[in-house]
Amino acid sequence: MSRKLYLPILLIAAMLLLAACPSAAPAPAEPAAPADQPAAATEAPAEAPAADTSGIDELSILWAQWDPADYLQQVGNLYEEETGIKVNIVQEPWGSFFDLFATEMASQGDTWDMVVGDSQWLGQMATQGHYLDITNFLVDNGIKDTVVPATLVYYGEYPTGSGTYWAYPTEGDADGFAYRKDLFENPDEMAAFEKEFGYPLDIPQDYDQFMDIAKFFTRPDDGLYGVAIYTQKDYDALTMGYENTLFPFGADWKDADNNVMGVINSPEAVAAAEYYRELYDCCQAPGLSNAFFSEVNDAMISGQAAMGMNYFAFFPALVNPGTNPDYYDKMGFFQNPAGPSGERGAALGGQGLSVVSHISPERQQAALDFIKWFSQDDMQAKWAEFGGYTTNQAVFESEEFLNATPYNRAFAQTMQNVKDFWNIPEFGQLLEVAQRELSAYIVGGEGNAQDTMDRIAEEHDKILREAGYIQ
Amino acid sequence: MTAISQAQKESTGQVQPRRQRRELSDRAILNLFIWPTLILLIAWNLFPLIYSLFLSFTDYSAIANKAPTWVGFQNYADILSDPQMWKYFATTGRYALVTVGMQTILGFSLAVLVQEKFKGSGLVTTLILVPMMLSPVVVGMFWKLMYNPSFGYFNFLLGFRNPSTAPEMLAGRFAGQPVPNLALWAVALVDIWMWTPFVMLLVLSGLKAIPDYLYEAAVIDRASSWFQFWRITVPQVMPLLMIAILFRTIEAFKSFDLVMGLTGGGPGDQTELIAVNLYRQAFLGQWRTGRASALAYIILIVIIAISNLYIRYLNQAKED
Amino acid sequence: MSDFYETGPSKPVTESIRVDKVSPRSRRIHSLRAIVVIALAIFLLIPIFIMAMTAFKTRSDVVSSPPKTVFEPTLEGFVFLFTERAIITPGRITKLQEAAESGDLGLFDRIALKSGQEITGPSDYVTRLKNSLIIAGVSTLLSVILGFFAAYAFSRFNVPGKDDLMFFILSTRMLPAVVVTIPLFLMYRQLGLHDTHIGMILLYTVFNLSLAVWLLKGFIDEIPTEYEEAALVDGYTRMQAIRKIVLPQAMTGIAATAVFCLIFAWNEYAFALMLTSNTARTAPPSIATMLGRGGIEWSAIAAGSLGFLIPVVIVVFLLRDYLLRGVTFGAVRK
Repeated sequence: MSRKLYLPILLIAAMLLLAACPSAAPAPAEPAAPADQPAAATEAPAEAPAADTSGIDELSILWAQWDPADYLQQVGNLYEEETGIKVNIVQEPWGSFFDLFATEMASQGDTWDMVVGDSQWLGQMATQGHYLDITNFLVDNGIKDTVVPATLVYYGEYPTGSGTYWAYPTEGDADGFAYRKDLFENPDEMAAFEKEFGYPLDIPQDYDQFMDIAKFFTRPDDGLYGVAIYTQKDYDALTMGYENTLFPFGADWKDADNNVMGVINSPEAVAAAEYYRELYDCCQAPGLSNAFFSEVNDAMISGQAAMGMNYFAFFPALVNPGTNPDYYDKMGFFQNPAGPSGERGAALGGQGLSVVSHISPERQQAALDFIKWFSQDDMQAKWAEFGGYTTNQAVFESEEFLNATPYNRAFAQTMQNVKDFWNIPEFGQLLEVAQRELSAYIVGGEGNAQDTMDRIAEEHDKILREAGYIQ
Repeated sequence: MTAISQAQKESTGQVQPRRQRRELSDRAILNLFIWPTLILLIAWNLFPLIYSLFLSFTDYSAIANKAPTWVGFQNYADILSDPQMWKYFATTGRYALVTVGMQTILGFSLAVLVQEKFKGSGLVTTLILVPMMLSPVVVGMFWKLMYNPSFGYFNFLLGFRNPSTAPEMLAGRFAGQPVPNLALWAVALVDIWMWTPFVMLLVLSGLKAIPDYLYEAAVIDRASSWFQFWRITVPQVMPLLMIAILFRTIEAFKSFDLVMGLTGGGPGDQTELIAVNLYRQAFLGQWRTGRASALAYIILIVIIAISNLYIRYLNQAKED
Repeated sequence: MSDFYETGPSKPVTESIRVDKVSPRSRRIHSLRAIVVIALAIFLLIPIFIMAMTAFKTRSDVVSSPPKTVFEPTLEGFVFLFTERAIITPGRITKLQEAAESGDLGLFDRIALKSGQEITGPSDYVTRLKNSLIIAGVSTLLSVILGFFAAYAFSRFNVPGKDDLMFFILSTRMLPAVVVTIPLFLMYRQLGLHDTHIGMILLYTVFNLSLAVWLLKGFIDEIPTEYEEAALVDGYTRMQAIRKIVLPQAMTGIAATAVFCLIFAWNEYAFALMLTSNTARTAPPSIATMLGRGGIEWSAIAAGSLGFLIPVVIVVFLLRDYLLRGVTFGAVRK
């Protein structure tokens, strides 16, 4: 019938709607800032004389839904006792945490005062002006010198090496391994292992030993498998898992000039991919083809895996008799084994506490006051006591902290050797390529390692060139 | 809007005053009936449609503090020249064909089976509808548990006791060896399980609406039950069945939460449906809003094309 | 066959002669059919049985290999569902255990302690379930009412540009939700609809309208127009004709449409996650919340899903007679 009618109706309604809410149109906001130079609110009140915070009686902090957020809530409760300002930790599931926060930032929202954000987000959030520049605040208050330097670089600094800080390192984290002490310390197993491999069974010092042990404990007939490692495709898990072999094998994603060709497809990187695939093929607990922290922990709890890769922040569940009734007292922990040339390395986890730039100056000041209070040595000791992974140098090195849990010592060792994926605003595209290719090769069993890493290098090179990181 | 209802046309020759009154109220009724729906739909869809259409021609990231820059058809050209994208569309096409095809066949058969009333048939039919009442997120999580080769029930019920010689559906492997497309079929199976009741319920309502006299007449004419099925049941149910197929096809092209929960698009890109990749580009750390909008419009055009084919067929079926 | 519809039976029909209603052979087929249907229903419901079982398992029972069919039921899942908990740090465990032994702890606390956790407060599950009920219920009513009237108009009146309008209505369901989310988010922020019940109700209504209009038009098309016309001739107003004649005959379609709208609005996840934060947040996002702490809390997820399933099942069960009954008088056809 009348096809003419459709379009006019649409257009008229469009005009009506746009007239009704003019500001709903794509808000271009501030004039554009060059992508590689942090624009942001440098003129924010961090430098200004303290704003009047008297009207603020509540602060909200967004974080992912996990135990450390509960621990932070306990810290927040102490703050309320002391100052009367209520601190609310808002927890969102990991799967939607970033989407939710970024959508809020897209609309310049001020729902949360602070966020405990991933290290990878730094580039995006800093360059697009969603985080408050807290360089002067950290330096002037002497907070900068209280934390382990490497953590400030990874969780707070962007661009790396610039000396500009966007976050206070709050939850240090990295990957390590949990293992079954009852298997490793069983005299029969020890004798059999030594007979087969010619050296005593112990925590693996390098990845060769690790492979021997993984194969040794893989016994499908008994329902026991050597390892549980990350394989998840959705977001970044498989890439993080692979980094745990990539870095110790002496390779990296990039060199000092951001070059990737010949770097991420170097012989070391290829060997690391082959190693990860071999580990998956020979010894991965069944069903862990799309596995991240919870699947790995489930494999340990069900007694399926002898060794499990995970972020240290997820290890408390393994030593808890409630969540792990059968093996909670049989759990040991070690840092990632060394690569062929003795190098150590681990994928970085963990988050820094940042102040959202879209909140009022008074709220910003109140948020900074909280960070200042939280960063004190005794508060950080409390934070560690509740179960948080402090980055405070003094606490970090204390014997008390190292002995507080079965995993803290391995954690402290690991944090000396951590590295991270890209943290530039384009990290999402780089990640998609790495995830797709690694998943096809390792989980899907397609192709070979050289081609896989060549394709990753080529596509990364293309993305980085387009974004201007490589001339 | 100068609508004259059929009823009015047919009722000419009525007493004058009564006709007058009805004519006015009919036109008012038409407007009253249609416009609330149209206004609501336009108000809610127009801004998103125009906004994303505009952005599809720009280089823009929603989280950037930067105005969109006009790039013309660059995004469209990039997507259409990317072999990966064609691969994702092909995967989606196969997925849609298999899931919608199976749902149609199974849904129709189930409906034919349950149309006769028996004691407790109301309860049984309600129970058959349960899979579709679950949230896709929950379904994804539970089938992942079901498919787990060691603590899931899928292999267990199929009689595979040893994980190393059993299929690992979501990894696309059987006894350690890669099987092409196995992961995709594993996801499709869940979709079929979940949405067959949707087709069944619609077909069932269609079946119930077939007047008995058609069958009675056919029996008197000594028509075989085969003849009855093809010449009475199928054509009578066809309009509703087509609506069911139409909506399932649209959903198949938009389907992503189930896949995200089960495989995340892996292994490799075996289950990377186009809507999954769209999500990846629009969110998940990428935030390429401009490009994602262009991809969404390409998907929209594909869906419109397919829908048009269906609707043409639907109208034909009605005229028959 | 088309002449058949027009001419009807070639001999007058004096009594029902449908074969399956009379012959003993078809009575056997009838009961056989019932058995097949029940068997199929059981088969289809296996995953639901497993979910129900999981709701009563402890965490380690869920991840035991091979899967357990016999186990000691526990309410752990429900405790996890209704409370917020934190893992107890090793130092505090003994203190709480003593309290448990001396009987200072309630049932839920004791169950939580068994799994090494302490209850820190009630969870949001109940308030969110309430939000779900309000939002899904009202939006279903709205979509069915608006959809029915629009469908009636499209079916009975000569609407200008009918095909285009119908296609426009359908096309509102075609754009992938992922792309709509951000513009909707911006729009809702501007209009103050973010995190409000009314905002979610309208959103779900809009989303369901296309299905409602299309489905109901399909059903109303099937209803012969002759009765209405006769009624109009007899002096009924249009509204009376709709209420007395069309509505009763369209009940099957209305029930089916309501079921679909309810199911969608009840389970919707992505929009709820993005467009609500607290006051109007529905239950689906909070079920997913239970996914990740140290591991997956399978029993809580199962318990939550089950509790969330029951209201819909009840509604569908109450509507079953409408869903399953045939059209009451089919003698007159166009």
